[in-house]
Amino acid sequence: MNELKSLYRHRQLIAALTARDLKARYRGSILGFFWSLANPLLLLSVYTLVFTVFFPQQAVKGPYPLFLFAGILPWTFFSAAVLEATTSISSNAGLIKKVMFPAEALPLVVVSSHLVHFALAMPILLAATGAFAVAHQISIHWTIALVPLLMILQTLFVAGVAMTVASASVLFRDLRDIITNLMQLGFFITPIIYLIGNIQSRPLRALLRLNPMTPFVVSYQDVLFFGHLPGLADSLLMVSYALASLALGFLVFERLRDVLAEAI
Amino acid sequence: MSRSVGDQRPAGGGRGAAAASFAIGVENVSKSYRLWGRRSQFATLKSALLKRDLKLEPDASVPALKKVSFVIDRGEAFGIIGRNGSGKSTLLKIISGILKPTSGRVVVSGRVAALIELGAGFHPEITGRENIYINGIMLGLTRREIDQRFDRIVEFSGIGPFIDQPVKTYSSGMYVRLGFAVAVHVDPDILLIDEVLSVGDEEFSQKCVAKIQEMKYRGVTLMFVTHQLEQVRNLCDRALWLDHGEAVAVGDPVRVVDSYLQQVAGSRTAQGVVVSATAVPAPETEAQAEENAASPRDSLEEERWGSGEVILRRVALVDDQGRELVALGAGTPVSIELDVEVRVPQDDFVFGIGIYHADGNCVYGTNTELEGFMPQHLDRDGRVRFAMRSLDLVAGSYRIDAAVHTRNGRAFDYRRGCIRFVVGARVHDIGVYRPQHHWEFEGGITFREIDLLKRNVPAPVAEYIRDNEDEPPRPKKRK
Repeated sequence: MNELKSLYRHRQLIAALTARDLKARYRGSILGFFWSLANPLLLLSVYTLVFTVFFPQQAVKGPYPLFLFAGILPWTFFSAAVLEATTSISSNAGLIKKVMFPAEALPLVVVSSHLVHFALAMPILLAATGAFAVAHQISIHWTIALVPLLMILQTLFVAGVAMTVASASVLFRDLRDIITNLMQLGFFITPIIYLIGNIQSRPLRALLRLNPMTPFVVSYQDVLFFGHLPGLADSLLMVSYALASLALGFLVFERLRDVLAEAI
Repeated sequence: MSRSVGDQRPAGGGRGAAAASFAIGVENVSKSYRLWGRRSQFATLKSALLKRDLKLEPDASVPALKKVSFVIDRGEAFGIIGRNGSGKSTLLKIISGILKPTSGRVVVSGRVAALIELGAGFHPEITGRENIYINGIMLGLTRREIDQRFDRIVEFSGIGPFIDQPVKTYSSGMYVRLGFAVAVHVDPDILLIDEVLSVGDEEFSQKCVAKIQEMKYRGVTLMFVTHQLEQVRNLCDRALWLDHGEAVAVGDPVRVVDSYLQQVAGSRTAQGVVVSATAVPAPETEAQAEENAASPRDSLEEERWGSGEVILRRVALVDDQGRELVALGAGTPVSIELDVEVRVPQDDFVFGIGIYHADGNCVYGTNTELEGFMPQHLDRDGRVRFAMRSLDLVAGSYRIDAAVHTRNGRAFDYRRGCIRFVVGARVHDIGVYRPQHHWEFEGGITFREIDLLKRNVPAPVAEYIRDNEDEPPRPKKRK
């Protein structure tokens, strides 16, 4: 409870630092903020090229790029935020050691700036959906309205993971490399480029279900691409993952807070 | 707002400290830094998670502070001196809440701003303007509060039009100036300063000192960590000397700085000084110095310290006939005589005197160095006479400090309050300085007569008056 109070107290700080991050990231680059939009588009084109031209996927009914888009965006939000969170504290050592600074703000700033990127990419996804709809390849579903809800749940989940890895990697530097590799693997064991239902082996499917990102990605695909509500199991899983991850994040952070300034 | 850090919470809970009369209370604070190697990273994480502690092998720790206790009153300026690695910055970081003490308790009441590294948290890619906002928020201001202070901050920093340029284009001086400007405009109740006044050019440095004096005047509690001993002497009300994590002395800044210089010089020359401790009876040992330094600020006892190569055997206030005085009337000619005993010849020496009012304010102070006397030899005993045509003070109690020290301030013999004297006067004029004067009236201004009881009296009478202060004056005895 105390942690939540302190978060509320630091909301201005987190907002200001997020704005700073976003500004600083694009200052000096010619296209500036446009990169936030261009990055997912370019990524999408690459994957579309690979999976429609080189390795055509027949399993997904409908425009494959849209399916891909629905899964890649939340995955990128998760992986980029968590990966950056691992260094969020150690790269701001000056703040932790020299200023009375709430360390938990650092991973949360990372999460919120990636959330902004994610949110900015959403209109592109909607525009693409609109374009396909005009071409009568797909219809726009009302379930798109559920996306903000999913984003909130996912943000909570990502924030918990980010806080955990941010504080733990100060003491255990190898964590960053471990996570980098896990993310590579994670991309493929999350049903982003394929449908989970198309996996024939039952144990493998069960394994995929264990991946906490699976229910999130599947639900995004449900509401954005397939136009139906997320499954009950997935919904329950998402809520429990979000809560569990937050609890773990606060617990680990609270445990490590006192030694952070010393261990950096 | 009150904050209490440490293992042992106060019995009644830390919140009660909000109304505390002191600003910072440090009680038995110890801090050990754990050493931990690369190999045992995972063990570190595990033990940190399980025990909230960075403990590895029990012996792999370095003590940085050992049972340090002191209390800083509201509005006090408190200096911390000591060698590098003596634990000064650790102490400051513990008080600011950045580090946690290994044991002991710290209670801080009020809004704290810590100047540990100026401009820490500035982001090079964004403008000075944006950095002011972010830095201000980090220091606990709200956006609106920064809006109100923004112009003052920019003006103080002297950054001018560069305020809208990215900070990476700033010179290091501009960077530091902006950092200082933001920090002092937070309007803290307590300002912790770590060695930052030494940065920047001379002009800005003076501006910083002036700002800090202004804050002190407004009642802000100040705590400095510094190597600039002059600042401690000038700005601080009290000083703490830390050595190897232990509090060696707390008290009068002149006094503490001096014992520190003494020890630094002592360890530098090692056995260079021939005087043995027993051969020097007058100046006290280090242990006594400690004891005295911790005693209240303006005790009536003489305080004396110094290394003892040169001794002020006798300090006296004498009249023009050489008679010692303890009381005098305003305007009498007097001298301060120092009988100097030379135990080890010196070629670097300064004689100084200071006259203080009983309330502790310095009335006047000078020394031979300040007045341009270049030391040549001090090889035999001698006498120094500081002659004043008249000592024009208003009635009151005063004390005199006399000292002989090296040019960099290391005392051979420092005698604080070695003479106490009273200036008696029947005129109840006020202030400290009483210029020699008389009144002239012209035109239609007349006075009936002069009440002789209210006129000044010569020294012997003043002495009599002082001794019989409570009795009604007997006019017959006076001319």
